[in-house]
Amino acid sequence: MSPSTSMLSPIAFPDVALPESARRLRAEVRAFLDEERGRGTVLGRPDSWLAGWDPGFSRRLAERGWVGMALPAEYGGAGRGFLERYVVIEELLAAGAPVSAHWVSDRQAGPSVLQHGTEEQRRFFLPRIAAGQCFFSIGMSEKSSGSDLASVRTRAERTADGWRLTGTKMWTGGAHVNDYAIVLARTDDAEDRHAGLSQFIVDLRAPGVRVEPIRLMSGEHRFNAFHLEGVDVPDGMLLGRRGDGWKQVTGELAFERSGPERYLSTFPLLVSLLREFGQRPATAEQLTRVGILTARLHGIRRLSLGVAAALDAGDAPDTQAALVKDLGTRLEGTLVDTVRSVLPTPADPHATPGSHAELLAFALLHSPGYTLRGGTNEILRGIITRGLEQH
Amino acid sequence: MNTHTIDTGAPVISADAYDTTAFFAEPDAIATVANTTAPDAVALPSPDASTAELLAAAQEAGRRAVPAPFAETALVARPLLCRVGLPVPEGPLSYAVAPELTVHYARPAASGVGSAGCSGEDDTLLVTGTLRRVPWARAASAVVVLASAPSGPVLFTLTPDRAVLTPGGNLAEEPRDDLHLAALEIPASHVRRISPELLDEARLRAALARSALIAGAAERCVELTVAHTGARTQFGRPLSRFQAVKQEEARLIEEAALVRAAVQAAAAPLDTGGPAAHFTVAAAKTQASASAAEIARIAHQLHGAIGITRLSPLHLATTRLWSWRDEDGDETSWARSLARTLTPAGLWPALTATP
Repeated sequence: MSPSTSMLSPIAFPDVALPESARRLRAEVRAFLDEERGRGTVLGRPDSWLAGWDPGFSRRLAERGWVGMALPAEYGGAGRGFLERYVVIEELLAAGAPVSAHWVSDRQAGPSVLQHGTEEQRRFFLPRIAAGQCFFSIGMSEKSSGSDLASVRTRAERTADGWRLTGTKMWTGGAHVNDYAIVLARTDDAEDRHAGLSQFIVDLRAPGVRVEPIRLMSGEHRFNAFHLEGVDVPDGMLLGRRGDGWKQVTGELAFERSGPERYLSTFPLLVSLLREFGQRPATAEQLTRVGILTARLHGIRRLSLGVAAALDAGDAPDTQAALVKDLGTRLEGTLVDTVRSVLPTPADPHATPGSHAELLAFALLHSPGYTLRGGTNEILRGIITRGLEQH
Repeated sequence: MNTHTIDTGAPVISADAYDTTAFFAEPDAIATVANTTAPDAVALPSPDASTAELLAAAQEAGRRAVPAPFAETALVARPLLCRVGLPVPEGPLSYAVAPELTVHYARPAASGVGSAGCSGEDDTLLVTGTLRRVPWARAASAVVVLASAPSGPVLFTLTPDRAVLTPGGNLAEEPRDDLHLAALEIPASHVRRISPELLDEARLRAALARSALIAGAAERCVELTVAHTGARTQFGRPLSRFQAVKQEEARLIEEAALVRAAVQAAAAPLDTGGPAAHFTVAAAKTQASASAAEIARIAHQLHGAIGITRLSPLHLATTRLWSWRDEDGDETSWARSLARTLTPAGLWPALTATP
């Protein structure tokens, strides 16, 4: 009778109850977003965590305490929990707010420096991150290292007072506009390919850094090839322990894979569809398809919140996070296809920005990426089945 | 060793062989069907159990393919009777939401305001019509009926032996019987006038109970499939080692988790009522019904030929999925009902109203 006897218990999701403070917080964020809409900065755009770059918006958000908000107060953070952070970022993404400037700093760099960094690194980076004045990129993937991350070839050679990094990172988002990158490099050759990797904080303005645009198929410049041509990195910029890079990188995956950015990237397009229904009322068939989409969104959000609750409780819900990512990112693509066929509209990148046709074009051109970034879904499904079999 | 060599001497797992007598012998303990792999009984939770507990129990009943109206009794009939202050009969109960019944007051009030017959000297009713596909009617000690009287919505109880019963069944051979009522008198003591809100709540309760059963059957599909792909070897290795199998199995696991989450999300809102109850229950039944096809498809595909026979218990789960998705409102009707209330500005607040 007890659910604990279930074979599904390795993928159990805790039930979620948001604290009363989260309710107040949500209202505050909505009021802030209304203000920003008045300024014309929040435009309801899809995929705004990848494509909405606005450092001014990031700074105003930080003034409210909503960047690096889970960081402790002694490092300039707001000392709030994962669930409260969740509320803030889901509100921002649903509104299509431009959050990409601080996105990596907030989601990965901050928590990573807090967990693995030296005291000196914490004192330097965390207050700047929380102030929305220090933006990070992530340098993990390479030309021959995608899903198989342990095969990275970027090397860090020991020098007198630090390290010299050589190699090329690929798909490094924002490297042309951000301040630092966290780079995964091989420091030691080891029989175990997961050993001998280390993480470094690299100043993107350091000599030897060369950033080369890789244009998306839409023509946008978001990603780069990030060449490290003998970049000197001082000892103090080794992040965590030498040789622990793999453990540090994989330890962050549950955070990266299960958040609202894994199911809300195309949500603004659904809002746009409902706006179109305001012009010409929906048929029963149209309503049905919108309802099915909405129900799925609702269920996935619930699962995603379950992962946040588990993280908040100190668990490591890696299997659940992989599950949310597969479900959520598939939905992001389905949403685009459904919106297109529910209300036939030729996608037009040159239509008035913010019009239904333009939003559709934008979401569509971004859509193949949803199930690739943050771990290809095919690989994640292997994690899910393994999670059940090990039980 | 290949554990799935087909043994033609194995006991046949038949949906026709249900023994519901245990239910009558022990009204608070519903015995499960003998030839599922979970032989212990599911206890009917006490009437003061929380909705979340009742849903968990209903899900368990769905997982075990319990041959009795467990969810119907615990989540629909009993709470509705408590709500209107009617006594709760012992034993299995069922329900019917039947606004199409012809209902008159047996003793129409001679005078008063309004048109003749809109009320009675008392609430004794005369009811004519057919209650279609009532779950487990032949086994129920009473059926809770929600209908429209001249005064507005009413709830009454009916013992099935007072009606003419035409037996029927769903794809899983669960009883779905028609009850024919011909000017049947329902004594006033069995009748309560109810608010339209309670009529809505009855629909929500029925839909959520059915969704919980679906979540349980979905979980059973996952269990049986993971066990099968781990044990069955082909080309010298377990099916579960094949990438193509993993891809499908993961989707099955995901879909089952999604249904379960959708059901859980509606538990608290059902108790508080209002728009959040409608939204979360409509979302739960939409998702549960919509997921049934994919869950059954993958479970069968990964089971291979054994799954389409009664040598495997899989059919106990999949035939229920195919039936339950249509019962108490299919995904089309609930999705429509969900979407009808949505506006561009209201969509996000609706999605985040709970928790």
